[in-house]
Amino acid sequence: MSHDAPSTTAHAEEDDAISVGALIDDLKSEDVELRLKSIAKLGTIAKALGAERARSELVPFLAERDDEDDECLLAIAGELATLIDAVGGEEHVHVILAPLETLITVEETVVRAKAVETACAVGRAMTPGGIGKYFVPLIERLAQGDWFTARVSACGLFATAFERSEESQLELRNTLTGMFRDLCADETPMVRRAAAQNLGKIAIVSSGDFIVNELLTMFAALTSDDQDSVRLLVVEDCVVLGKLLSATDCANKIVPIVLKLAADKSWRVRYAVAQQIYEMCDVVGAEVAAKGLFDAYVALLGDSEGEVRISAAGKISEFCSLAGAVYSAEKILPKVHELANDSSQHVRAALAEAVLGLAPTMGKDTTVEKLLPVFFILLKDEFPDVRLNIISKLEQVNTVIGVEMLSTELLPAIKELAEDKHWRVRLAIIEYIPVLAQQIGTTFLFQKDEGSDSGDDLLNSLCLQWLQDSVYSIREAAANNLFRLTEIFGADWALEYIFPRIKELMSSHHYLYRLTVLRAVSLLAPAVGEEVILGEILPIIKHATTDTVPNVRFNAAKALSPLIKAIDVAKFQSEIRPILVGLQSDPDADVRYFASEVLTSAA
Amino acid sequence: MSHELDGWIAALRKCEPLEEDDVKRLCQMAIEILVEESNVQTIDSPVTICGDIHGQFYDLLELFKVGGDCPDTNYLFMGDFVDRGFYSVETFLLLLALKVRYPDRMYLIRGNHECRQITQVYGFYDECLRKYGSVNVWRYCTDVFDYLSLSALIDNKIFCVHGGLSPSITTIDQIRTIDRKQEVPHEGAMCDLLWSDPEDVSGWGLSPRGAGYLFGDDVCTSFTQTNSVDMIARAHQLVMEGYKWMFNKRLVTVWSAPNYCYRCGNVAAILELDENLAHDFKVFEAAPQEARGVPAKRATPDYFL
Repeated sequence: MSHDAPSTTAHAEEDDAISVGALIDDLKSEDVELRLKSIAKLGTIAKALGAERARSELVPFLAERDDEDDECLLAIAGELATLIDAVGGEEHVHVILAPLETLITVEETVVRAKAVETACAVGRAMTPGGIGKYFVPLIERLAQGDWFTARVSACGLFATAFERSEESQLELRNTLTGMFRDLCADETPMVRRAAAQNLGKIAIVSSGDFIVNELLTMFAALTSDDQDSVRLLVVEDCVVLGKLLSATDCANKIVPIVLKLAADKSWRVRYAVAQQIYEMCDVVGAEVAAKGLFDAYVALLGDSEGEVRISAAGKISEFCSLAGAVYSAEKILPKVHELANDSSQHVRAALAEAVLGLAPTMGKDTTVEKLLPVFFILLKDEFPDVRLNIISKLEQVNTVIGVEMLSTELLPAIKELAEDKHWRVRLAIIEYIPVLAQQIGTTFLFQKDEGSDSGDDLLNSLCLQWLQDSVYSIREAAANNLFRLTEIFGADWALEYIFPRIKELMSSHHYLYRLTVLRAVSLLAPAVGEEVILGEILPIIKHATTDTVPNVRFNAAKALSPLIKAIDVAKFQSEIRPILVGLQSDPDADVRYFASEVLTSAA
Repeated sequence: MSHELDGWIAALRKCEPLEEDDVKRLCQMAIEILVEESNVQTIDSPVTICGDIHGQFYDLLELFKVGGDCPDTNYLFMGDFVDRGFYSVETFLLLLALKVRYPDRMYLIRGNHECRQITQVYGFYDECLRKYGSVNVWRYCTDVFDYLSLSALIDNKIFCVHGGLSPSITTIDQIRTIDRKQEVPHEGAMCDLLWSDPEDVSGWGLSPRGAGYLFGDDVCTSFTQTNSVDMIARAHQLVMEGYKWMFNKRLVTVWSAPNYCYRCGNVAAILELDENLAHDFKVFEAAPQEARGVPAKRATPDYFL
């Protein structure tokens, strides 16, 4: 086609026109997949049409068609945002509101939410004048909608309208305020919920005066709503408003509401308070919080509903550090004792996760006297997650009293978790052992294990036990663990304790256990140096290359790979290469394959 | 070739389905391997025996976590890879890709669900249609089904089959003469091997399934004696404990779909045989929620139980 160069562009344009036409045809297609594909290209279509035709043809077309498939509606609601830059700038951008207005009132919540999101994006691209002319009237129509979906959606548009309009547009703002006030008192709970959800967002873009004079009144009404689903949404607004108001206003106007909600008759509301109360205390400061909020928190710790106690217990250490040692010892510690014996395992697990964080606040004496007994109760809990949670946070208590005080109780707890019947519990404790060794020192891990016949210390007997676990993932983790421990304790430790034992395991009658040994030694190679590799590891692997089971032989080949990287080239040529070359003529295809792979990658 | 396969296996392990063209090629490669296998595939120990999976992909990953990954561990899956669960496509293709990549480490034999008719009713057909927008993938896979072996014999001592025995079969050699490359018939030896169940009856009984037979202790004993095998391993029936011995340990049922159909509350098992045929059952539970992908959007289809 090189002799006909000029026509190429013409062709390209024609192609473009055809493809846009095709996309528009697809928008009308019966086939949902085709429609979706075409919707995803709305931005492209609009750009190809140009701003004017996008406004005069595409947007009206989108506004008129009524798709019945929610998936398509959702896609359109999202893709309309790509038209914001394609319809000719801020003077024209309001045209997109027309197709959005239909979507904003549909029954499907996801579609509506997406349409509101896009409408807000359109609003942010409009001028203050445009907001008054197009955006606020849209809110007005929606707020007066017969069906509640329109009014719910209206609530989501106010923050944008306030943000984009100017202080001078007084009448407009008064209209908005009036409408929002009506929506806060709407007869449908869903609408009041939407109002509660958006009140904070409006506050963020408003002046302090407006919040105090207008929003707080509406807010106060919502806090006494007869529906708990509305009241629980108000809780979050408390923190948002608290951050925006002056300390005095906050103490006088917001704190009483939080206290009221903390004693709400619905547990879902109290749960929401338990989630937010620490942040609320943080906002007002310890001094104000001491006048009521702390006591409210203590009450939540003893709530009749488990979910509330879980939520409250999780925040206990932050709370105590804010409330100080005296208050904590007097009011919170008694609750901690109760929670440690709670009937719900989930409450106990939440407590176990957080309770060790109390130690730094309480100081050494109180920790030993009051908290230690709680740790012991939790360490012996029948539910493994409780024990795991407490063990995984041990370093917090170690810095205060030293782990030795715990060791008599700790060792049996670790041992029991190491033998738990659920393999994921065993996995969790294995993966934690190196961290534990690092955090709290190694002395206690090397204590004599009372239960062991061989007189081994706890760590060594556990490591060995895990390598022979019946679950593959545990054996893998155990092999990995040996590497991490060798990094901490050094090659000598591995030579003295690990190698003699894993050599024994190599004589296991079960091929999968021999594979674990290969995995372990190949992982250890980078941590032990050439001498140990050639003296200890290579003989083990070499022996494995003559195993009767092909799986062991090709894993031996694979295990040689990390060795090659850790020794010098001459040793590779003399010691390892011949083994791999030998395996290349193995009767099993996989052995030949992996031997060649390792040789190739070594070259 | 192996690099391409390794790529497919890596994708499938993440539960990402393959492109339609890749499925087509994988299935062609699989047929080339399976066509060479006998109706009674000979397998050397060590090997781990698994029962029904039924598209429970994340539970299959759990199985590998407990039993070991292929190729490190050798596996025999005794059929019913597809139907009922949400991920029949990914489950079958992963097993098939492993079979093609490591033909001596992975063995697959046919279950009663590896069949055109059954998969159109119990979900695999619909799943292919939904995930690919056409039934081509279903066609490629069901073509592979016709080539799957009917049974396996481990070290000449353990006879493995999906369902059970057939009144038309006395010796293992008779199975070898079946022309298996066809849709599972409604009756006859091939049908019975995939459909029958052991039961406390004497001799043969009528199966409530409408295909295959019930067979008793005496049938099992005479089969094992005639063919000088130690025991029969089979799948096909949900057992709440994951495995169940019958007939004085001459027969074992192995079931590998934990919490079957995501609602039965059963545990699953695999049977690990070491190189001396010592057995060890590994019992495991369904994968925890956090180990699963996003659940399928559609409502529970009515073919669940």
